[in-house]
Amino acid sequence: MNAPETVSTSFSLVFQAFIFNPVIQYLRSMAETEADTIPPTKEKHADELFKQFREVSVTEFFRKNRAHLGYSGQLRSLTTVVHELVTNSLDACEEAGIMPEILFEIRQLEKEHYKFKARDNGPGIPVKHIPKVFATMLAGTKFHRNIQLRGQQGIGVSGVTLFSQMTTGQPLTIRSCTGDNKVHEVTLLVDVTKNTAEMVETKEYSGYWRGTEVEGELKGVAYNTSDKGPLEYLKRTAIANPHAEITFTDPEGRKTVFKRSSSKVPKPPAETKPHPKGLAVDDLLNFSKSTQSRNVSSFLSSTFARVSSAKVKELQKMASFDLNKNPRKLTWAEAEEIVKAFDKMDFMAPSSEGLRPIGENQIKKAVLNILKPEFEVVITRPPKVFSGGVPFQVEVALAYGGNAGRPVNGNEEEGVRAKAEIMRFANSTPLLFDTGGCALTKAVNSVDWKRYGIKDFENSPISVFVNLISTYIPYISAGKQSVAEEDEIIKEIKMGLMDAARKFQIYHSRMRREIEKEAKLNTLLKYTTELAPAIAKITGKDDKKILKDLTHLVKEKLRIEAMEDELEGESEESEADTSFKVEGEEE
Amino acid sequence: MSSKRDSEVVKRIDEFGDGILRNISKHESPKFGVPLRSLSNIKFDRTANLLRLGDKSSSRNFLNIAHAKKFMQSMLIASKCKELVSKGKTASIRELYYQLKHAIANTKENTFEDQSESDPLIVDLETSLKVLREELHLKADDKGTLIGNIVIEDSGDLIDCSKLGRSGLSVPSIIEHYKFSKVKADYVLVIETAAMFDRLVEEKYPQKNNCIMVSTKGQAARGCRRLVHRINTELKIPVIMFTDGDPWGYYIYSVIKAGSMALAHESERLGTPQTRFVGMTMTDVEEYGLQKVTEKLKEVDKKRISELLQYPWFQNKEWKHQLELMVEKGVRIEQQALASKSLEFVAEEYLPEKIKKGKLLP
Repeated sequence: MNAPETVSTSFSLVFQAFIFNPVIQYLRSMAETEADTIPPTKEKHADELFKQFREVSVTEFFRKNRAHLGYSGQLRSLTTVVHELVTNSLDACEEAGIMPEILFEIRQLEKEHYKFKARDNGPGIPVKHIPKVFATMLAGTKFHRNIQLRGQQGIGVSGVTLFSQMTTGQPLTIRSCTGDNKVHEVTLLVDVTKNTAEMVETKEYSGYWRGTEVEGELKGVAYNTSDKGPLEYLKRTAIANPHAEITFTDPEGRKTVFKRSSSKVPKPPAETKPHPKGLAVDDLLNFSKSTQSRNVSSFLSSTFARVSSAKVKELQKMASFDLNKNPRKLTWAEAEEIVKAFDKMDFMAPSSEGLRPIGENQIKKAVLNILKPEFEVVITRPPKVFSGGVPFQVEVALAYGGNAGRPVNGNEEEGVRAKAEIMRFANSTPLLFDTGGCALTKAVNSVDWKRYGIKDFENSPISVFVNLISTYIPYISAGKQSVAEEDEIIKEIKMGLMDAARKFQIYHSRMRREIEKEAKLNTLLKYTTELAPAIAKITGKDDKKILKDLTHLVKEKLRIEAMEDELEGESEESEADTSFKVEGEEE
Repeated sequence: MSSKRDSEVVKRIDEFGDGILRNISKHESPKFGVPLRSLSNIKFDRTANLLRLGDKSSSRNFLNIAHAKKFMQSMLIASKCKELVSKGKTASIRELYYQLKHAIANTKENTFEDQSESDPLIVDLETSLKVLREELHLKADDKGTLIGNIVIEDSGDLIDCSKLGRSGLSVPSIIEHYKFSKVKADYVLVIETAAMFDRLVEEKYPQKNNCIMVSTKGQAARGCRRLVHRINTELKIPVIMFTDGDPWGYYIYSVIKAGSMALAHESERLGTPQTRFVGMTMTDVEEYGLQKVTEKLKEVDKKRISELLQYPWFQNKEWKHQLELMVEKGVRIEQQALASKSLEFVAEEYLPEKIKKGKLLP
């Protein structure tokens, strides 16, 4: 699952990793609230206060705050388990350049009691790392790198172990093989106070496969086929990952295979240096502690992107201290000065190299493969920056007809076959929960669909696909289901959707014209059968010949009209393009 | 009807069909022109006091999807009319509708769904071919009644209209074949409602006042208008009209007098410009103390009044005065409101007095 190299072992070091923003922010806000609420009445000695003081392991933090990590509600908890395991498999396969084949199976043991099994053909996990991957919080290969991967924080799979253990008391069984014919089977629990694994059993036997298999039990969860359930999660995962093949077996034994529609392994994302804009003082200090550079100048230009020697000179003019000093001796005040100066300075936008969109063709193939729509359009927006320095990019797609939209069953309004559905993705990972507060949902709902000929958006067979790609997704909480409302992100999504909607409108009006033309032809031909004998009766000419001539005339006339429409349609398209520009695109 | 005229009509229909065939062979949409019969193409001839049709016309185009069905229906009517004329038969417009109504092959749609679809197309065809409805061997239902001292010869039979009891003569839609053999009357009184007609018959009004009475029973049909026109022009007998005091009654008067928009091409034959108007007028309300028996104007009435005020043929002092008075008082008055005085009042006082004193509107 997780790629084997560079697994961090020190918990405290990990905790300082600058990218682990949500938990840090959470802890900070907790501290602030407590300070505010202490009543200044009876004074106590510090020793008394510190009797209660002890180090809290992150595992224990998680145990008490499981809702923040997606383990709230019976269905959501189950979907979160699916999400954590599948995400890890996909990330591992991609980093190793493997075409993913993922199997997921859910079996019901009794009411609210399920057994799951996840299996991939990834690189496998070296046996010594298995306990850390599955039982230590905030350990991983991703969080200390400025890189676009699905997981970021290193909580994911250990959360599954912990959740399983908390609800059933049962351990997780992991089988893994790196392709060396030795299969390691590890059964483990989490030692909650120590944030380490409690080994139950380890076995080793020979086997001819490569990959990782995880098996465990869950209680207090429920399976269903709603748009927040595991099946929908995997369907959307398949759409966003056309190179993956995903097989799902549901509790009733029904097997669904999402076949791969692309044989292209996505290019692994590149690691990028952080951009100076939007940097926090805390982060800067953390970087400065671990740098090899001898002075602040070279520390800044080697650690951050777009900080050239000219920029360092510009900074020196604004700084009150000498940038030749040792970066490890940088004080908070000096770091703050640098951050403030950075905010005032102009930098080139960050490189989008670290961003890895799915790609228009890939999305198109996946959408055609899974939704089989009558019409689809995919728009990839150019990379942009939010919050001063974080690069991001938006991919949107619109699918209409076919299996697009959520099917409507039973006593709904008449004539409505499907309702519109919004498929949200962050770094190609589906977001199923916390729909309302999400910036992606808000952006979709801010589009005036009526303008594009979609009269009743809610009751149309439409799937809207939105993928937000970034080295840092601004989630609202550690549950990672909802993106914060960054103006730049909402604007980009809206632009993309408007562009897609314009293309849909052209298709839609063309379709309507086709239907009208067909109806017109049928109407005229119908009346021709009455008209011809009437003319024949008046003129005494052969009615069969008149019918033939009239029929020919009608068809010929409509053929010419169709050609004229075609020309008109083209000019409409160019008009649409013009209006696109007029609307104030900043490109 | 002379067979010479019949063959002329057949020739016109043939030419009409040939025109359509020429369109088809030239690869253009089959089409024919129809003079426009809306207000924009109606001219009021002040000298003759008649509505006349202007020279604007619209084209009926088969390949225009909005015209296609009507075009097909018009051709069905034309072919049926040719058949009628050739066979020397005359059909009512309702019979024509039933003759042509059938399901279009392989569909659930009928050639005609309702008579209201075929009736206006007959008028289209008349104006387009410049022939009369009766020349196409079509007739409408009988509408209107005549009673009085006149003897009419109809296909060799003599009808004495003073000896038809209380029923009178039912006026057919075609009266071209009528010959007036004996007549003794000072004027023709044309009455809008059947009820008032019956009242005056019971009061022996025609006998006592030496007049002919015609009831239009609402808007006057062609036969009725043509009959009034012929009595007026051929026998030189003046015509006096008696309607309800509302915009609808006044419009019926204007149709008898100047012709209608729908049949403006036939005003010459249907209009009777000499006609004068006896009542009900708005001034009658004051003069005869009828304020208590008026009725309030409804919105439709008000709308209709403002339309009449726009029509060129209502642009004279007296009529504008009546209409404006009506708006001002906000009331209308029915003919039968005169019964509030007594049943005999209309026959014994109101009409004789107004007519004798010449209190008539132009």
